[in-house]
Amino acid sequence: MNPEERVPTAANLSLTRRRFFAVLGVGAASAALAHAGFAQQSVVDGFNGPMDMDRYRPVRLPARGTPPVLSAEQRDALEHRIHCQCGCTLDIYTCRTTDFSCTVSPRMHRDVVTLAGQGYDAQAILDAFTGVYGERVLMEPRKEGFNWAGYIMPFAALAAGAAAVAATLRRWGKTAAAVQAATPVQVDASPDELAKLDALVRRDDA
Amino acid sequence: MILVGELSLWVALLMAAWGTTVAFAGGATGRTDLVRSAERATYAMFAFVLLAAIGLWVALLTSDFSFRFVASFTSANLPTVYKFTAFWAGQAGSLLLWALILTFYATIAVARSRRQDAAMRPYIIGTLCAITLFFVAVLCFGTNPYERLDWFPPDGSGLNPQLQNPGMAIHPPNLYLGYIATSIPFAYAVAALITRRLNSEWLSAVRRWALLSWFFLTVGIVLGMWWAYVELGWGGYWAWDPVENASFLPWLTNTAFLHSIMVQEKRGMLRKWNVTLVVASFLLAVLGTFITRSGVISSVHSFAQSSVGYWFGGFLLVAIAITVYLVATRLKDLQATARLESVVSREGSFLFNNLILVGIAFSILWGTLFPIISEAVRGEKITVGPPFFNHVNIPLGLALLALTGIGPLIAWRRASVANLRRQFTGPVLAGAAAGGLLFALGMRDIPALIAYTLGGFVLGTIVQEFAKGTGARRRMYGESLPRSFVRLIARNRRRYGGYIVHVGVVVIFAAFAGLAFKKENDVTLKTGETFATVDPYGHHWTFTSNGVSRFRMLNRDVTAVTLEARRDGKLAGLVHSEKRQHFDSRNVASFEPSTEVGLLYTPRQDVYVVLSGVADDGDSAVLRVTFNPLVIWVWLGGLIMAVGGLIVMWPQAERRRGQGGYRTVLAPEGEAVGAAEGARA
Repeated sequence: MNPEERVPTAANLSLTRRRFFAVLGVGAASAALAHAGFAQQSVVDGFNGPMDMDRYRPVRLPARGTPPVLSAEQRDALEHRIHCQCGCTLDIYTCRTTDFSCTVSPRMHRDVVTLAGQGYDAQAILDAFTGVYGERVLMEPRKEGFNWAGYIMPFAALAAGAAAVAATLRRWGKTAAAVQAATPVQVDASPDELAKLDALVRRDDA
Repeated sequence: MILVGELSLWVALLMAAWGTTVAFAGGATGRTDLVRSAERATYAMFAFVLLAAIGLWVALLTSDFSFRFVASFTSANLPTVYKFTAFWAGQAGSLLLWALILTFYATIAVARSRRQDAAMRPYIIGTLCAITLFFVAVLCFGTNPYERLDWFPPDGSGLNPQLQNPGMAIHPPNLYLGYIATSIPFAYAVAALITRRLNSEWLSAVRRWALLSWFFLTVGIVLGMWWAYVELGWGGYWAWDPVENASFLPWLTNTAFLHSIMVQEKRGMLRKWNVTLVVASFLLAVLGTFITRSGVISSVHSFAQSSVGYWFGGFLLVAIAITVYLVATRLKDLQATARLESVVSREGSFLFNNLILVGIAFSILWGTLFPIISEAVRGEKITVGPPFFNHVNIPLGLALLALTGIGPLIAWRRASVANLRRQFTGPVLAGAAAGGLLFALGMRDIPALIAYTLGGFVLGTIVQEFAKGTGARRRMYGESLPRSFVRLIARNRRRYGGYIVHVGVVVIFAAFAGLAFKKENDVTLKTGETFATVDPYGHHWTFTSNGVSRFRMLNRDVTAVTLEARRDGKLAGLVHSEKRQHFDSRNVASFEPSTEVGLLYTPRQDVYVVLSGVADDGDSAVLRVTFNPLVIWVWLGGLIMAVGGLIVMWPQAERRRGQGGYRTVLAPEGEAVGAAEGARA
């Protein structure tokens, strides 16, 4: 083979101990997360299958002699906050008004209507549903306990990213200033020419 | 032909294994004969995967139910067009489509890579062959489309009715074209990292592929939204479903990359970040497939789940480990060659744009995975639905919209106060006018008002940029307004095509904000009965039922209702909605009933009618009538984005302009405006 045809070899893949452990750590963390995901699979599998009409559970509260406090619109809005349990990803209002075949959402709707008719307010009805089905019946997690991590983490990550960007900008700014001060540039041009060039550079902003 | 296809899949597997081995061996030893062999293996891979695909298509079109895949996803009475599209209705077929597109892309990329640094080629080829090896191995050992049944069923199970829709025929291939295009930049990134050739040269090749990916993801996502809107019948187009989210994630990182790559090209900065975004886009595309296929997370779009999710999980872990190692060992080679001079600069605004885009991607990924995390930590299953994603992403989306307008107004390197004042005055006034007008007209929804104000600001920015550019051309060349406008775009497709994409973004944001005024009605109508309501604009509507009808058509029983819709007393149109019960060739009902939405499109709003069911007497239609403001603008916005993307991608512009940027010509003051725009290296 002609030596000139030889492709340059790969760069040296040297590995320090610190890098080795860093890679190991990332790999282990990824594996742990994936394991958690796989562990979930057995639980979630059934949830993903065809609609399960047996998932309905009656939601009852003691009868009260008070008049309804929710209007029809408020009751519909409340149904938008309750997750249909048939296996779909919709709220019960959307599911019952659009899905011909679902028998779970109409029954859950009847429970909402009954409880609203007994004078329970939205929060009490949500609590009753949560008591029967668990927190998964809510379309969004309650803002309490560990759920706060869900709400805060995106903004915390964004704030951390912004802080990292700010720190990088500050460091770059110092470096640029130091480089500029250390190496004055000699340019063979008049101040007028430099001003025109500067104006053009600023406009050349594509 | 079917047998040839079946055998071809195994030959493709051998080719991929051979290509991977000899490409990396050729790179490590410097033997060009091995690299050439790997290149030929890449072409052969494509040829054999194509044969395998043709074989499956033949099996589908001839209804060969001895194959499990054909029997599972088609039936004898399925219309021919849907027999063809059933190819990607199931797990094995969609993965074969994935392999077909991947090898097609690989063939083009490898052929084009001859122009690249010779040291990188073996690793580009090797990485692409390795990815292909994975997909073909999954097909051969995990979910083989050529798996045969022990018996020959008289008919197949048929195709899910929700997939018997033109949107579904073209939406998945587009999405796959977008997902898979991320493989090529990933292969280049791996090659650049291995060989430590991390200058901007590899990025020029990567940018086109990233744009291609972005384009197809955009088209695929919008088509998916349209399909969900007209087919699923729940009244919206985006539900923050895990599979929707999975398609959005690589789009976000791709978009971030297409902005930050400009900073590296112009200023030699963000090199680590750009490599990270390229890698992240590919990994998120694989993650999306993992989510779709594994069933780890519940989704209405997961029509093709099986145990191959584990394969993807393993592949994802290996890919993460390799890329983390490569990036960690090459940090010194990824140092920036220039420094930021001022935060108030174009590159500074791109930094924040990237921060927001990646922040949105993280929040979506976090929300999608949070049910799993919550159950792992607390043992309590929770639902993370649209309200959560809206809470988190509406502020971030508005910030991104603001940056869409701010970025183009700030000069590269450093902007002076006078420059900022001159640039911002017009757009800020446009935004304030839009917001003030809507407030005066009675709009009180705060997020919607902010969205329209920012939309006005961004449009003001774009109009100003076009006005300055065309004005400069007219002064310099004496061109007419239309001619200077067209030439302005033609001569700098990347910049002005990008602005057209921004117009599409504004239009889509405006349409999203319109949903704040959505109005739903739940009614039951007998024949001749009328329902009256008021739309979000204050117009009075009446809907009169023309009655429920039942009939048999092709492979389905149809229950239909037609409403006569009148707006302020004038006939607006007839709205027809259906429930369909499909049956197989033995007249046995197959699948759950599906919905055909009745729609009355207008620029201001859609009247969206869903026949939920028929009441006991058989004559009463149970209906949901929804006024969806501005929905048509979502599709138009998507179209504008796609057109802008095509303008940016147009190859001629790339060939004309070198990567060095622009040649700046010193000219007398007054003539100089836009002079740089016309000059090309």
